[in-house]
Amino acid sequence: MFPFSPATTQAETLGADWFVFSVAATAVGLVVIALILAPPLLWRRRSGALPVQNAGHRVVELGSTLTATAIVVGLFFFATLPHERAVDATVASPDEVVNVTAFRWSWRFAYPGTPVTIVGTPMTEPELVLPLGKTTEIDLRSADVQHSFWVPGFLFKRDAVPGILNRFDLTPTRVGDFEGVCAQFCGLDHTHMRFRVHVVPAEAFARWISSGNRKRFS
Amino acid sequence: MNWLTSTDHKHIARLYFLSTFVFFGVAGILAMLIRAQLAQPGLTLLSPHAYDQVFTLHGTAMIFLFIAPFGIGLANFLVPLQIGAPDMAFPRLNATSVWMFIFGGIIVLAGAAASGGGASAGWSGYAPLSEIEIGTGAGQDLWIIGLLMVSVSTILTAINLLVTVLVYRAPGMTMWRMPIFTWEIVATALMILMAFPSLTAALAGLLIDRRLGGHLFDPSTGGSAILYEHLFWFFGHPEVYVMILPYFGVITEVIATFSRKPVFGYVGLVLAAFAIAGLSMGVWAHHLFTTGAVANPFFSGVSFLIAIPTGIKFVNWIGTMWRGSLELTTAMLFALGFMLNFLLGGLTGILIASPPIDYQAHDSYFVVAHFHYTLGGGSMFAVFAAIFFWFPKVYGFRLSERLGKWTFWPMFIGFNLTFLPMHLSGLEGMPRRVETYPAIGHLPLLNLLSSLGTAIIASGVVIFLVNLVLSARARVPAGDDPWGGFTLEWATSSPPPEFNFKELPSIRSERPAFDARHPEIAPTR
Repeated sequence: MFPFSPATTQAETLGADWFVFSVAATAVGLVVIALILAPPLLWRRRSGALPVQNAGHRVVELGSTLTATAIVVGLFFFATLPHERAVDATVASPDEVVNVTAFRWSWRFAYPGTPVTIVGTPMTEPELVLPLGKTTEIDLRSADVQHSFWVPGFLFKRDAVPGILNRFDLTPTRVGDFEGVCAQFCGLDHTHMRFRVHVVPAEAFARWISSGNRKRFS
Repeated sequence: MNWLTSTDHKHIARLYFLSTFVFFGVAGILAMLIRAQLAQPGLTLLSPHAYDQVFTLHGTAMIFLFIAPFGIGLANFLVPLQIGAPDMAFPRLNATSVWMFIFGGIIVLAGAAASGGGASAGWSGYAPLSEIEIGTGAGQDLWIIGLLMVSVSTILTAINLLVTVLVYRAPGMTMWRMPIFTWEIVATALMILMAFPSLTAALAGLLIDRRLGGHLFDPSTGGSAILYEHLFWFFGHPEVYVMILPYFGVITEVIATFSRKPVFGYVGLVLAAFAIAGLSMGVWAHHLFTTGAVANPFFSGVSFLIAIPTGIKFVNWIGTMWRGSLELTTAMLFALGFMLNFLLGGLTGILIASPPIDYQAHDSYFVVAHFHYTLGGGSMFAVFAAIFFWFPKVYGFRLSERLGKWTFWPMFIGFNLTFLPMHLSGLEGMPRRVETYPAIGHLPLLNLLSSLGTAIIASGVVIFLVNLVLSARARVPAGDDPWGGFTLEWATSSPPPEFNFKELPSIRSERPAFDARHPEIAPTR
């Protein structure tokens, strides 16, 4: 819900993009709404007399075009580009790696180098455990059709496209549970292709992974 | 048999109006089923498979069988009249197009009766989902075949319209004197010619994979899933503008007429239409921002640029109304509603053109809200503006203005009540195309508001149907020119005779009918 309280370092950047664009869109929107509503409020037809038949205004037309251009070019270069670069950059040596596989209709979370693999079903949501303050690289694949890994609390999703390996980083900054859903329609049980992200302190994560998913979190 | 064999463009247009409205009714009922199912969390009114078919056919029918072809029908009626031509360039081809469209539409919907049910992979029919999971039921195949017919019909009509405009203009009707609606149709036809072949290819590929053992789109057998996404959206994004440019034309004509002023910035409006058409060919992959397989900055940048010509149009509409003599007819109310709704859809469009925002909004109800504000609050409101404006010309009698206003207000209020909350439910994590949702956060409240809004929209549509029946009984003659129109269609009888004009007024500007009424200020050469 807006305003967001970011739960990953990536979400701080994503939230900043939302903020800049929301302010700009609200400002432009209010001005244009006022301009649309002014004529019907001010200049209703009261007589048969023709109004002045002006067919344009060079300064208004050119000025508004240049203003619109300045706004979108500014937003693109000063918000979209830097934010997109920051979010889509992946670190060379992440602290953890998780292989995420989407399939009809659940998720498999495998932690390479450990025996830990968590597989869900439409009836039982699998849990993706992430360490707080560490950068985890997600290697996302699909086993069948297009899916999409979406954690609304992280303001982020990435599609799982069959035949394509997608990598992205998540660096949680808050412990807690976050809802996860499949965002790309994938057939009959798409609705129930949910999961949960469980962010725990790094020490608890280390204990959990070395116990091979036997040690539960208190 | 005349209704079957006639090649008169006005008759063919009426076939488009009737058929698209029947399809609109079907799509609207499907929308109400969707909102009934989602009114509360955990409802089981529809089974998951039924729900998948309902939203697939809702989207398919609204886009392919209502919003786009209603614009085609309007162009069929208006373009020959507005340029002073007796008919379309190829009347028999025109008849072929309309019947191909009607039967294509019926085939798409009839698929729902096939064993195994109708198409259920969404209106975009992503492969390999539409190939492997949907199975071998005939419903998905009928969806493909029906849409192939609609696609080919649309391409043929685009050629027909272009040739008509280029070759059949009346003496004096130079290109720069054509009404804005006709200009928008020229830009639309060019987009159709560039974009629809890609749809035809995508659909044919699906059929080849499903029925002829092809492997174009299934990676498990060496195909490419992302290729389908590219082919589909290379059509799909220009299609968005195919569904809006004709309606920009409608709004421009309605606003100018009911402000009694010439169009503000005529040349700028025309150039903006072509700028949108050109740019629309280079933005398709903004539908693929979250795939990680496209150059996001490029497609984001080009998408932003489309905001500029769209902004120009708003300036021109406001400029046309500025210090005018405004008459708030039903058509004008719908035009004002169009501007307010489309403004919001346009602004959220700029937001989701920024990939960092799209990473949250994509495939969520935020995007559902966005495109309904452009296609529903935008195009559909313009459809009603067009109906109330041109109905007297098309059918020769008037619609009740009072019932018209009773149509506008429930539709405007209901529309915003339905779709404004969807921005928030999307941000709260509600994905598209789910048949239910958990009772967390504000989702139950937001969805209930959306469902209530849909019922209010429906009440407006019902009042419109009552209006049709009562007005058809009263049959108040329209007269040649009930509104003080500007363009040539208002300089002939209502409905126009076969071959349209007994005689043409002299054409010395882009509003010859206005000039004929006001010789004191008309250009003399």
